[in-house]
Amino acid sequence: MGLLSIIRKIKRKEKEMRILMVGLDNSGKTTIVLKINGEDTSVISPTLGFNIKTISYQKYTLNIWDVGGQKTIRAYWRNYFEQTDGLIWVVDSSDLRRLDDCKNELHNLLKEERLSGASLLIFANKQDIEGALSPAEITKVLNLEALDKTRHWKIVGCSAYTGDGLLEGFDWLVQDIASRIYVLD
Amino acid sequence: MEDQNNFPNPTSNSDQSLDPAVEKKRQAMIERLSNRHQARVQSKDSDSSPSFESTETFLARFSELKQSITSEIDQIEQALESFTKGDLDNVSALINDLEKLLAENSYHLPSYEVRASLKIISELRESLDNVSVKMVPKKKFSFRSKVAKQKQPVVAIVEEPKVVSSDKACIMLDTPGFRNREGEVLVENLKGKNMGEFTLSNLGSCEVRLIGRPRAIFIHRLRNCKVYAGPALGSVLIDDVEGCVFVLASHQIRIHNARRCDFYLRVRSHPIIEDSSEVRFAPYCLHYDGIEEDLTESRLDEETGSWENVDDFKWLRAVQSPNWSVLPENERISSLRVSTADS
Repeated sequence: MGLLSIIRKIKRKEKEMRILMVGLDNSGKTTIVLKINGEDTSVISPTLGFNIKTISYQKYTLNIWDVGGQKTIRAYWRNYFEQTDGLIWVVDSSDLRRLDDCKNELHNLLKEERLSGASLLIFANKQDIEGALSPAEITKVLNLEALDKTRHWKIVGCSAYTGDGLLEGFDWLVQDIASRIYVLD
Repeated sequence: MEDQNNFPNPTSNSDQSLDPAVEKKRQAMIERLSNRHQARVQSKDSDSSPSFESTETFLARFSELKQSITSEIDQIEQALESFTKGDLDNVSALINDLEKLLAENSYHLPSYEVRASLKIISELRESLDNVSVKMVPKKKFSFRSKVAKQKQPVVAIVEEPKVVSSDKACIMLDTPGFRNREGEVLVENLKGKNMGEFTLSNLGSCEVRLIGRPRAIFIHRLRNCKVYAGPALGSVLIDDVEGCVFVLASHQIRIHNARRCDFYLRVRSHPIIEDSSEVRFAPYCLHYDGIEEDLTESRLDEETGSWENVDDFKWLRAVQSPNWSVLPENERISSLRVSTADS
């Protein structure tokens, strides 16, 4: 981020953050966004393309880009990397078979230079399902300890179904982004 | 809390004594913006997804909107003192709408067009930012001897490593399910169990009867099988199946790499297929003792007809995908009763 754009952001009264939300299909991305926004989550079709949701969170405005996770669409993720302040990677903690896929896609994503400054929140979703892996186990399986030392990251267990953990995750992400972008407050 | 535009109340902003001509201009502008807002709201009501069939239609609409936003920004820039922060917010809302339009159409657009459009949107934002910077009243610049408040340095937050006692291979195996079976009738009664996900993996020529309510179902690599399952509260994920019949009820169903399969579904949202061919769909037709309560508790008691609204991720056009079809009524299983007893 250039100095000029930092200055612009500071000048803006309304503080905006751009958050990109990705992960394999069936991990619960759209459900998380709707749940945190207090909307009905009972009828959600798999995302064809993507959704943008603008929500007010604390004193910030979050522009959340929820991009579909089907294999066919993953190639299009790159179109949304620009100017991303925060990255949310959602994991279906009960889908043990595809954890390797999940790990590879995540590590590929993090190689992307345009995302190098973004804070990374990993949601270990579906903790309400019997047999789901804990956040500690997901950390190990996804090899998160091997992430670049400069990366700000955190993993939070959550359930988009019950809403548990969502606020904890978003609180961290928003604070972390704010501490980088709005340091001059 | 979608981006609601709060239109400035003209009376609250009329504190400065503006000359009448400018004031008139400003009123006209506000009116125009609010008309546009109305039009937008109405078009949202009448057509919930304004996506266009062709790239040309989209590009035409996109450039039309871009033009009008550019001219709004120009007008504001030429007479800064007669506009307020509220006017800027309105333009910003228009830009957001433009972005949404792109979002809704992005899937069928060539990636070059998506990139180009995203660039235009960010340029519009930038020029709006420039205008808003000019509008912000200038503060007198001066040096101060006071040292700015020291912020604590940003520290990378890293969870401390936790020791995981059980190893990965063990975790993989102890989830409920049927795996690696050939030519068997596999019955599981989930009633009264606090069931998480249920896995069906590597089955050949088996009949699976799953009675009760699993939380989620994972299906992987099945050949010539019949799968009859009670309602799943969460989702069903299917990958690599051939020559099978599935009778399933769930909130979401994703089907990958399926060939020559029939699906009898009740589903709350659109079922999706990806990399699949010769798959056919029909409504759910399973019966067992107590299925009505199970359906009700899973909120799947109502037939919404979604089973035939199939989205094919490999065929994003208005015309019917060649990969799937509705199973003709005379070829359907009319009703299917299963019990836990072997037949």
